[in-house]
Amino acid sequence: MGQFGVAYFVLSNLSPKNNKSVFVRSKRKRIAYKNSEGEVEDEDDLMPGTERESLARGMSSQKGREYTIRLALEKKQDQYIDLKGITVYIGSWNVNGQSPGSICLSEWLSRTNEPPDIYAVGFQELDLSKEAFLFNDTPKEAEWRDSVKAGLHPGARYFHVRTIRLVGMMMIVFVREEIKDQLRHIAVEQIGTGLLGRMGNKGGVGVRFELNETSMCFVNLHLAAHVEEFQRRNQDFHQIFNRLGFFINEKVKYIKDHDQIFMFGDLNYRINPATIDATKAKALIEQEKYSIILEQDQLREQMRLGHVFSGFTEGTINYRPTYKYDSNTDNWDSSEKNRAPAWCDRILFRGGNLTQIDYTSQPQYKLSDHKPVSSFFNAKIKVINPTRQRKVYEETLKQMDRIENEYLPQVTVDIPGTNQSSHSNRNEINFGKVKFMEPLRKTFTVANTGQVPVHLEFIKKLNDSHVCKEWLKIEPVHSFIMPGETCEVELLVLVDKCTAAQLNVGRDTLYDILVLHLESGKDIFITVAGDFERSVFGCSIAALVNMSEPLTMISPGKLIELEKGKMPVNHYDIPKELWFLVDRLYRIGMDKDGLFTMAGSQSEVLEIRDWMDTIPNTPIPGNADSIAETMFLLLDCFPEPVIPFSMHLKCLDSAHNYTACKQLVRQLPAAHRNVFLYLTSFLRELLNHSDKNGLDAKILALLFGKIMIRDQNYNAKANARVERTKATFIYQFLVNDDYGDDLWPEMGEDLVSFS
Amino acid sequence: MANRTGQSKEYDYLFKLLIIGDSGVGKSALLVRFADNVFSTNYITTIGVDFKIRTLVVDGQRVKLQIWDTAGQERFRTITSTYYRGTHGVIIVYDVTNGESFANVKRWLHEIEQNCDMVNKVLVGNKNDDPSRKVVLTSDAQRYADQMGVQLFETSAKDNINVEEMFMAITKQVLRTKKQQQIDETKQDTVNLRPTGGGKQPGHRKKGCC
Repeated sequence: MGQFGVAYFVLSNLSPKNNKSVFVRSKRKRIAYKNSEGEVEDEDDLMPGTERESLARGMSSQKGREYTIRLALEKKQDQYIDLKGITVYIGSWNVNGQSPGSICLSEWLSRTNEPPDIYAVGFQELDLSKEAFLFNDTPKEAEWRDSVKAGLHPGARYFHVRTIRLVGMMMIVFVREEIKDQLRHIAVEQIGTGLLGRMGNKGGVGVRFELNETSMCFVNLHLAAHVEEFQRRNQDFHQIFNRLGFFINEKVKYIKDHDQIFMFGDLNYRINPATIDATKAKALIEQEKYSIILEQDQLREQMRLGHVFSGFTEGTINYRPTYKYDSNTDNWDSSEKNRAPAWCDRILFRGGNLTQIDYTSQPQYKLSDHKPVSSFFNAKIKVINPTRQRKVYEETLKQMDRIENEYLPQVTVDIPGTNQSSHSNRNEINFGKVKFMEPLRKTFTVANTGQVPVHLEFIKKLNDSHVCKEWLKIEPVHSFIMPGETCEVELLVLVDKCTAAQLNVGRDTLYDILVLHLESGKDIFITVAGDFERSVFGCSIAALVNMSEPLTMISPGKLIELEKGKMPVNHYDIPKELWFLVDRLYRIGMDKDGLFTMAGSQSEVLEIRDWMDTIPNTPIPGNADSIAETMFLLLDCFPEPVIPFSMHLKCLDSAHNYTACKQLVRQLPAAHRNVFLYLTSFLRELLNHSDKNGLDAKILALLFGKIMIRDQNYNAKANARVERTKATFIYQFLVNDDYGDDLWPEMGEDLVSFS
Repeated sequence: MANRTGQSKEYDYLFKLLIIGDSGVGKSALLVRFADNVFSTNYITTIGVDFKIRTLVVDGQRVKLQIWDTAGQERFRTITSTYYRGTHGVIIVYDVTNGESFANVKRWLHEIEQNCDMVNKVLVGNKNDDPSRKVVLTSDAQRYADQMGVQLFETSAKDNINVEEMFMAITKQVLRTKKQQQIDETKQDTVNLRPTGGGKQPGHRKKGCC
């Protein structure tokens, strides 16, 4: 047995050295794996925090997807993995510190007809010197490795995978040259279970790799000695089995994590001396009644009890015990101790697709007090079929794509009153007749019918500056809907002073296509349509003075012509609609308190609108305030204000000089000048009633300045100084005594009949 | 869209494909057949622009396709034309049972020309599953395709005929163009290293897709 003396152990309390080397090695490996190309990186890195955040926002995770594809592929292995037969040869020998000398190992290692694909050869007690123990350094390593190499099957060339040694435990692994490129993730590890529970005189050394898709692990063991120490041996096994870990890509793979496991060596289990003593054992061995003795074998018993090597198989033993002989003989131990024979040297295996072909010993080797053992296996390993794998991969991708498509945002748009099936005017909202200043509302529902929250938004079409046309308002413009929930969208159509003129002449129509965009998803088009009823509101002064009939009697084409054309002689001096309004006010509003400063009734304003568009044979409806408001509205809707935009600046410049003001009015186009004078003379008349209506020139100048000298942009913010200047301009015409005499040449008598 | 380390990318290339053609020729059906491998007899006009994704493996490289399906109705044409931007490949679809849709291919090609600079195209005659209803002859379509220098496919989204092949073909075309561009860019860079003095300016490019 060659036990170590106690003295050695005292000196050798240098165990940190062992731990440290493991630590350094594992650290080095981490770096090595980080640098290795084409290898799968750490899986933890596949789902970093940022990905989770985007997942939470309903986005698909690319890394998550990649990870899922990998898992799915692993799950479908059966569909693209074939089993390929290979052979494995295991040998183990406790050489009792001997050098191989010139012995030939081929009788031990080369017994098969065909050369094995894999060799794992383990030694124990390779070197019993204290140098080997203290410094883990021995010339015998090379000697034995060379002998093993020479003893391998001559029918093939072998590639040396790894040699690992811890003190006297050594294992050498070879594979046939042809398959060396199919090895991946080769790793070695060692563990001491000797003195203090961790010294290297006992323990195990392991080599692992993946051959194609099968992971294989080989562990050479040397467990605690002495017949009564079987429990210690069990413990040693568990320590090795549970703690021997190989670093692969910064992850630890334990023995149990492998598809095929071979554990062998000098396990040191003996024959229970209480039932079979040495003499009896030797007698039974002579009769080759091994099975009787094996019933008392400690390893078999401990395995039966489930205390050790659980899940492992050992083949039938049909050979003489491998221990203990006098060296260089076949005689049992003749020393004082007279050790009982035992099968100390064993080979066990675990995992699927393994068939043991033979399990035997080579007693002809007499070098040691142990005999070598060997076993030959047929193993089936998993090999990828690239064509089928590609097919499965593509199918998996397709599946993932389908899931990704399912997780795109999905909504349905439900417009009340429309046929939502296949109809081609689906998603169309028709407002029907739309009249000036009459708001119409319609709502529709957007339902999230998909799997993910949807952020929706109406977006601008290319080249457009707004989400929709000016006569349309969308509320809300963007929204967020959870799966299964809905959102109401309201559309408001209102044709007002800003849009009436364009719609009157067909430069715009009540037709718009809205683009409802789902973030990270599709766009839905929603068509909005309506028929605008043309009105005098939005018509120009020039057109109105040439419109002898009510607007409803005028064809769209005619109106366009009127708006475009320059008539040589105007039909009227001022728009008749303006005359109706002023005339009415003259009759009912002159004494009205705060005229032009009070809001009229909205419904009356609309009635007056309809009256003016049709001019029926009835009195104009509405009270003074409503008439006044309608008048403001009409003036405000002139596409070109009373003082045209082109004369706007000049008008402001001349505001403080009455002569200049009059000069400017003289330069106005005839119809505009008439409207100006008509209105200012009406305002002067209104001021004559100021004791009743409480109006003063300043208020009226401010109100009418704003509207007659309107800024080009309706939505521009008013500038107080400019507004004051406009008022000053109007004011001049309200308070100066020499008003009008030199300005009226063309005005018809019938229109100016206030007094 | 590579992640920080550039590893573990879900795809090697990302391409945008666009399906155009008259309303009712089966653009959405082709897309749904290709992406989800289903066909619905329930016809629903596309009113908007939708997309689906599908990843193909071409010569061992993963090509992720984002395929946009557009509304074919005339009234949406101005809006849909804005979706041509950034497109790598266009699939022009007509209906082999509808001569007018084939006659309109010309307009669609014109549409592409207006909105894209250099883009890969295929011509697809869909609904090729009932010979008795076929009015656009293969020979006529082939002659036109040759004339326009585009590949022709006759497909049936309903019976799943030639759909996969057609998408694979346009993807391969786009991939070839992309790789050629990458080579050209490398060359361009090399050329640009030389000092330029009064040399020719690189050709002014039209507003383009790619």
